[in-house]
Amino acid sequence: MAEIGHGGKEIVERILEPSEAKEKIKGLKQIPIRSQIANEVIDIAYGFFCPLEGFMSKADLDSVCKNMRLASGVVWSIPILFDMSESEISDYGIKAGDSVVLTYQDNPLALFEIEEIYDYDKKAICQAVYGTTEEKHPGCARTYAYKDKFIGGKITLVNRPKINPPFEPYFIPPLEMRKKFKEKGWVRVVAHQTRNVPHTGHEWLMKGAWLQTYGELSIEKPLVGVLVNAIIGEKRKGDYIDEAIILCQDELRKAGYFGDHNHMTSLTFWDMRYAGPKEAVFHAILRTNLGLTHHMYGRDHAGVGTYYGPYDAHRLLESIKDELNITPVYSMNWLYCPHCGEVTSEGLCNHRDEWQKFSGTVIRSIVMDGVKPPRLIFRPEVFDLVMECAEKYGFGSPFVTDEYLKNRTPVFSVPPLE
Amino acid sequence: MAEERYPINIWVNEERYEKLKEAGLAEMCEEMLAGLKVIRVYANDAQKDKILKAFPTAKFDSATTKSIELLPKDVKDKMFDLIVQKKSVDILDEFLSNY
Ligand SMILES: [Zn+2]
Repeated sequence: MAEIGHGGKEIVERILEPSEAKEKIKGLKQIPIRSQIANEVIDIAYGFFCPLEGFMSKADLDSVCKNMRLASGVVWSIPILFDMSESEISDYGIKAGDSVVLTYQDNPLALFEIEEIYDYDKKAICQAVYGTTEEKHPGCARTYAYKDKFIGGKITLVNRPKINPPFEPYFIPPLEMRKKFKEKGWVRVVAHQTRNVPHTGHEWLMKGAWLQTYGELSIEKPLVGVLVNAIIGEKRKGDYIDEAIILCQDELRKAGYFGDHNHMTSLTFWDMRYAGPKEAVFHAILRTNLGLTHHMYGRDHAGVGTYYGPYDAHRLLESIKDELNITPVYSMNWLYCPHCGEVTSEGLCNHRDEWQKFSGTVIRSIVMDGVKPPRLIFRPEVFDLVMECAEKYGFGSPFVTDEYLKNRTPVFSVPPLE
Repeated sequence: MAEERYPINIWVNEERYEKLKEAGLAEMCEEMLAGLKVIRVYANDAQKDKILKAFPTAKFDSATTKSIELLPKDVKDKMFDLIVQKKSVDILDEFLSNY
């Protein structure tokens, strides 16, 4: 049976078998790409970005900026662009109609069939996608960092990335993910977007969303799962290291706070744009393709600073709900109430004067002070694993340092094409 | 209206708690988040700005807790030592005079 993705299009992996790939790329020009582009190449090829088959044409980009849709009319909120400078284009001598090989880590990754070379006002992109043109917005900064020309065209993977330990079990592309959901018998799956090591506030967000998603379904056997989909991309100093994020999310299942019957952890390669509402729509598309039926959204989803109101993303999602094949589940915050003696929802407990809110930042501060947080706030298994990851992967620190950025094992490698 | 005050949470581990007890300051701790001991030092607006400038890793958690977080451990150790020495949490002016 065909697996249908976002926009009603069948999800098809655009990946060549090695023998065919070797033949196809013979004699083609090789163009090295940076990590952001490599991430997006992988996402396109495996169907994470369905219905996209490549990097956007000018018509698509223009339509995304002006209407939040592809030129075909399908909802799409964030431009997926391949950039190059004018001088690189002339040095490589490439033009529309050419095919080139994109290389990463000095090995061939994908075939790029160039359909169009164009330019577009970056400020207009920023205003349309981020609602601001300020350079200090990280999404704008990323947009301004694009070189001056954009290239549209189809992408086909010629070489599958090798996912390095400990990440290999967590790279589950759309077709495989959908198979897993069927095997588990889940009829509804709710996405938890994260870039964090979970504290119990996150754990309860997931538990709350699971309850909301379960709704009227029969409880005779487990029918609903939570999928943690961690965004793995460019790291900033002070973030938790990727290994700690992915392993600690999974630890909630392994240590029994969830189980195989209702919880799974996975990753998607993506460099966060912090586009708030537009990123919320993008997440809905991404998780539709992964086969999810529901998506959690808290306040100020994927926002940054004070650019977006706490409910802007919810309103934008509501305005296009008939065109999305995923149902938003809105989450209130969880906090510690000493009177209740438990972590509770701000929508439930009324001991408002006694509330003690906690955030990922506060937990990081506690850990940095060398203190083990109480189990009601941060699970001891998660704490121990954070510390283990610091030793094993973080050069002594659970947080990203210069040394980690320089010497870490990459999440994936591109092997030579045999 | 009273001036805004922003807490810096100095989380108290066993080692810090021993030092406090020795100095007879154990009652200076508050308890938060289901059993964590903490000493809170309060910064005014000017002190907050100075701290965020002097320690670039520090972050003002504007969304949730309105506190100044992620100061490096050695910085907090110095603040803590000053608190023990002065037997008071009113240490920020003196502390910041070195920066
Ligand atoms: Zn309560």
